[in-house]
Amino acid sequence: MSGMGVCMTNLIIGLTMLFSFFNVSSDNDPYTEQRQQMVTAQIERRGVGDKATLNAMRSVKRHLFVREGLIKHAYDDRPLPIGYGQTISQPYIVAYMTELIHPKPHHRVLEIGSGSGYQAAVLAGIVEKVYTIEIIPQLGNSAKNRLKKLGCTNVEVKVADGYFGWKEHAPFDAIIVTAASEYIPPPLIEQLKDGGRMVIPVGSPFMVQMLMLVEKKGGKITTTGLMPVRFVPFRRSN
Amino acid sequence: MIPMASINKRILFAIGFVSAAIIAFQLVLMQILSIVQWYHFAYMVISVALLGFGAAGTVLSIFRRWLLERFEMALPLLMIFSGITMAIATGLSQSSCIRFDSYLLFADLSHTWRLAFTYLIFFIPFFFGALAIGLVFVKHVHHIGRLYFANLIGSGAGGVVALGLAWIFLSQELPAIIAILPIISGIIVLPKKPKVFILLVTFLSVIIITFIIIHPPCLVLSEFKDLSRTLNLPEAKVTLEKSSPYGLIQVVGSPALRYAPGLSLTYEEKVSITKAVFNNGDWLGPVILWGKTDTQPVMDYTTSALAYSMGRRDRVLVLDAGTGIDVSHAITKGAKEITYVEPNSALLGLLKREPFKEVDSLFDNADVSIHNTNSRTYLLTDTSQYDLITLPMIGAFGGTSGLYALSEQYLFTKEAFRQMWLKLTPNGVISITCWMDYPFRNPLKILSSICEVLEGQGIENPAHFIAAVRSWGTISIAVKRSPLSAYEIGRIRAFCTKMLFDPVILPDIKEAERAQFNVLADDQFFRYVDEILSSERGSLYKEYDFNIRPATDNRPYFSQFLRWQSLPHLARLFGERALPFFEIGYLIVVLTLVQISIAAVLLIILPLFSIGWRGGNKPWTVLYFSGIGIGYMFVEIIFIQRFILYFGSPIYSAALVISSMLVCSGIGSFMSSKWTGIRKSFPVILGVIIVLIFGYAIILTPILLKTITVAFEIKLLLAFLFVAPLSFFMGIPFPVGISLLAGKDEKEVPWAWGINGCLSVVSTAVATIIAVEIGFFWVMVFACLAYALPLIVNIKGLFTLQHI
Repeated sequence: MSGMGVCMTNLIIGLTMLFSFFNVSSDNDPYTEQRQQMVTAQIERRGVGDKATLNAMRSVKRHLFVREGLIKHAYDDRPLPIGYGQTISQPYIVAYMTELIHPKPHHRVLEIGSGSGYQAAVLAGIVEKVYTIEIIPQLGNSAKNRLKKLGCTNVEVKVADGYFGWKEHAPFDAIIVTAASEYIPPPLIEQLKDGGRMVIPVGSPFMVQMLMLVEKKGGKITTTGLMPVRFVPFRRSN
Repeated sequence: MIPMASINKRILFAIGFVSAAIIAFQLVLMQILSIVQWYHFAYMVISVALLGFGAAGTVLSIFRRWLLERFEMALPLLMIFSGITMAIATGLSQSSCIRFDSYLLFADLSHTWRLAFTYLIFFIPFFFGALAIGLVFVKHVHHIGRLYFANLIGSGAGGVVALGLAWIFLSQELPAIIAILPIISGIIVLPKKPKVFILLVTFLSVIIITFIIIHPPCLVLSEFKDLSRTLNLPEAKVTLEKSSPYGLIQVVGSPALRYAPGLSLTYEEKVSITKAVFNNGDWLGPVILWGKTDTQPVMDYTTSALAYSMGRRDRVLVLDAGTGIDVSHAITKGAKEITYVEPNSALLGLLKREPFKEVDSLFDNADVSIHNTNSRTYLLTDTSQYDLITLPMIGAFGGTSGLYALSEQYLFTKEAFRQMWLKLTPNGVISITCWMDYPFRNPLKILSSICEVLEGQGIENPAHFIAAVRSWGTISIAVKRSPLSAYEIGRIRAFCTKMLFDPVILPDIKEAERAQFNVLADDQFFRYVDEILSSERGSLYKEYDFNIRPATDNRPYFSQFLRWQSLPHLARLFGERALPFFEIGYLIVVLTLVQISIAAVLLIILPLFSIGWRGGNKPWTVLYFSGIGIGYMFVEIIFIQRFILYFGSPIYSAALVISSMLVCSGIGSFMSSKWTGIRKSFPVILGVIIVLIFGYAIILTPILLKTITVAFEIKLLLAFLFVAPLSFFMGIPFPVGISLLAGKDEKEVPWAWGINGCLSVVSTAVATIIAVEIGFFWVMVFACLAYALPLIVNIKGLFTLQHI
């Protein structure tokens, strides 16, 4: 993609976000304030500083991605069940994972495990294209419809086994594996661009999760286990 | 005073049947709740439900006269109600408006109400059953010895019947089948000229139970259980299932199901499709579809291959081998003799037969010898030497959330590691793989166990005998019988470089090589490892937020990491909502204890409004019946724990201990009714109980270890001989106490019975906490103290009761 193309995309995304902001204000979204608070209290205060990520977290209406009975908890500092044993991650984890992949407007990002589609919607506000794969058809189809309804035109949803990645659109600048498994599928490593970053949450969905960052540089692969509460040793101070 | 009534055999049989049904229902319920939720929640729900006994005592105290006046009608009705509610409870608890999910308890408050309804649903059958038994006790209090005998014999038989039925029927089919017993009891105690209403209820209950037997309820698993999540995969289906007392074993196949724990990032081949086995909905292991020409290259790309990277292993012992992944790895690596040890006979039977029809069985391989026993028992009885001993993988991807905190893991105690160590050939290796957890717990505790064992063997520097390598997700530790050679160290480094693993422990380790490929944001891990390898580990044990001291046979809770004093610190770091998921198992026991203690106190106090707060017998009654309730349960729990190793199976241990204890106590109770001088000898009997318990606390374990190698039949006999004398004497205090109390004031009899019931339930949770915190030995000591209570209250001048 040319530089001009990227600029145009940025402009369109910026305008879309601006429009959605005014749209939110104009349709008197009752959750706007909660969302702002969520970003300030749960995300910024814990050290996420990437502006694009924060903007996206401010603009995506999280309450539209949760079950009807749990809407009032949509902006709580915790994961929520979305059915089929899956969860929508805690807002902070979504933001932290997004920041970790260093998303740029020209990036093409692969997500494994669409779930409710929330992570994809957040990414869609920042990068050029999001490809997301969901293995559970019911979740995948509902995420597809929801994202379409919300106007996320730069997200493509596929119901398939995430193990194989999405070869037709590879390589990717970044990969987010939201449905972690006991192994990192070899095709995903292969489909990650040189210089690309992959992030995987490890841990019980209801517990504080640890994040695994995989980096591919000059053919060398390294992993970094990142603490949820960063750089605070848990050993007793005395 | 109610006149002394005669008792006929029909009532004794009815009491026996109802008692059998209650115990059997309790065991089946445990299984059902373990399938749909988790074992710990099963324990919590059942503990609360068992307070039905205490509540029955309370109701009986308050409505004693009213119930006694309607005895002939009330007794059959209570028995029938108990049966009918047993039959419908499971279906009702699984209905969409009541079904609770234990994971959502912490995320969705509506599930708290659902849990409360679940308590109520399961409480009712116990309540009606216990009320029927209690009513007979009160009505025929002068025959308490024979009644208690029938009650205990029935309970003992109920345990055995439930185990037998679990091999034949699915868990959800059993409540209605068991419910037949109370219905029969109700029918046999029907008055000679029953009212139409009772006949109608009896008829309807028979119809309903028949219907439920034909159409048993469906069990709906928590959506967060491993099995539920796996069944969400495309084309996933249960291909085989087998019910047993070990649990419901199910085999699931799906084209998206693969197994490669902590796979190296250099692996470029396909990860092969597999089937998986689940026990009560929890992941048990992958099924290896194994042919003669097959190999398992994937396992070579995991840290578990560390031991093979050091050199050839001809004789391999695979402990708690599960579905056999390590067996297949050993065959692939050319091992000549492989010993597979697995305690779960239902799993083994299933693996050896059904899933392998399409391929040659892994277990038919001539190089593999199979032993169906507890791994620890095998270590105690086997005399062979091995080049490699492998243990099952510890922890789970992303942590176990403390679900196993209260499981007795005799394979991970210091004594177990010592036995493994002594079985190694000079170049032999013990191989242990853990998932890397955060905060760090499993690897640190394993390492501390190994270091203490090696030091106990006179090795000054354990680091010369240990190698450990780490991938992005797992860490494998190899403990060698002799110091690691330069050649082996070189091969380990080459293995790490090839696989993108990092060495963590080597005799000549350099700090820079510990995180070449896999960086840890919290690199304190390496400092902890070094401290454990050094002689300074004691200060780390004290300062660390989690309990990483080695487990021992006296406290075999390897996965129990919780230190209460650390909770505020952890809450500050990780948030209060995360806390339950660090050590959920242990926290649930404490939560259970809090709930049942509050309920027990209420149930004990409530009757006092009816029978009066004042009166000379009250302190005597409370102390006496609390003491014998607590003491009995403490002994029972410790016997079960001690015999697990002896028989190599918790199922057989529980069956033997519960049945033997109840039968022998029943005989003791029966004899007490015939023993005319019992009241005079009573303090001596209590003294004998205390001396026997204390003696067992000291000599039981050494004697069991000495005789563990004898034939199974002889072990059964020995175990019975151990359990019988103490149980016989422990069966005496309850009927004697009731009889003494009846002589003074019959109104207090149901209250005393309720106290005994409440304290029996509370003491199971207390015993667990004592065992975890200070060990089994102290549970026995506290059992002595509990039996000292009735002894003390019988000393004249302290709390007196007439006739003593």
